[in-house]
Amino acid sequence: MRIQVVRSGGIAGLKREWNVDVDAQEDCDDWHRLIDELPWNPPVASAPQPDRYVYRITMSRRLITLREGDLTGPWRQLVDRVRRVAD
Amino acid sequence: MRQSIVPPYLLRQLASSADPAMARAAAAAQSSLARDDSFRSVRWGPGVDHTAAPTARARAIEPPVRTIFDAENTETLPGTTVRSEGDADTGDISVTEAHDGFGFTHALFAEAFGRASIDDDNLPLLGTVHYGEDYDNAFWDGQRMVFGDGDGTVFTRFTASLSVIGHELAHGVTQYTANLAYEGQSGALNESVSDVFGALVEQHSRGQSAADASWLIGEGLFTDRVQGDALRSMKAPGTAYDDDMLGKDPQPDSMDGYVDTTDDNGGVHLNSGIPNRAFYLTAVAIGGNAWEAAGQIWYDTLTGGDIAPTCDFATFATLTADAASLRYGDGSAEHTAVVEAWQTVGVTESATMAG
Repeated sequence: MRIQVVRSGGIAGLKREWNVDVDAQEDCDDWHRLIDELPWNPPVASAPQPDRYVYRITMSRRLITLREGDLTGPWRQLVDRVRRVAD
Repeated sequence: MRQSIVPPYLLRQLASSADPAMARAAAAAQSSLARDDSFRSVRWGPGVDHTAAPTARARAIEPPVRTIFDAENTETLPGTTVRSEGDADTGDISVTEAHDGFGFTHALFAEAFGRASIDDDNLPLLGTVHYGEDYDNAFWDGQRMVFGDGDGTVFTRFTASLSVIGHELAHGVTQYTANLAYEGQSGALNESVSDVFGALVEQHSRGQSAADASWLIGEGLFTDRVQGDALRSMKAPGTAYDDDMLGKDPQPDSMDGYVDTTDDNGGVHLNSGIPNRAFYLTAVAIGGNAWEAAGQIWYDTLTGGDIAPTCDFATFATLTADAASLRYGDGSAEHTAVVEAWQTVGVTESATMAG
């Protein structure tokens, strides 16, 4: 399973993209435990704040768009992990 | 010519500036201080005392009250207070740049537009530096300006650019005035207004005319490894950088290149290139200092009360033309410059606007 994280916005308006093939990771089971915890229906989105990032995360035909202020808990862990591995 | 309404504290700050880029402003401030060292309270001066003001009132503009916080590379806001108004320089360049940048931004709004801080009621200016780890961004969170240190590879610290500091503070001004919704065309206008006033802060602080200015936003933020001058060019959107790591500056310079996307709240940092260029074209067509006529027209539009939070490009074009007509006269050089600028960037059509 592939995870794609696309970060847009920020004052620079630069789009960055990170991809990870979860099943190719040595700690694949650990990734899946984290993925199982992801809340796909998070509480009401926060109001947009000027120049903050917007994250679009896709995996297994599911997609979620989260404002930077809403990227918390398991979602934040996932994005940090994807960035770390993809970088 | 309009009479100077520069408050003495600003003149002293300017007069003592050691920055070579500030030499002209420093000399002017020294001469102005020599003429009049008594306290002058700033009020609505000639040229800013009518039409645009929703209600007539005379309010003294207080000196800025700035507080800088340090997030110590966490994402906890506001962080620890490291410099309050009146405190000495801390030696931390980010703190100094934020403090000074707030001062220059406050000065533009006070001197050019008679505005008392972000809310026109002397709101204290709050800023947090050293936000996050390798954080490549700066933002306005509704109450304060927040600056990252950059990752050191692509970006340096975000306080390094005065236009970026002005950009963030201008988001506060927009929030207290037109409150443009941060999505789609109104979001791109919100972004553009911040770039406009960010550029004007830099030009005003350097005493730079529209013809002499770089019209770059975020000059000096990239490290030497990046092939690029700045984040954006208002003069030539799409040309600010062209780099192996970052790609090419994706901003359109006219409606022909308008970007339809759901990313970045509908491409607010991309399509802002279109109204940015309209402002640049207006300013160079009028000539002189951009913060005078062109800046005044945009400021009148932002604060005039006729603008809706969901305002689109075409409506904004009409409102700026109306503001120019109201202040400078129908068919005036200023009015014509605005009308033609929006035609050039393809927001309005020549046939319908060129009366």
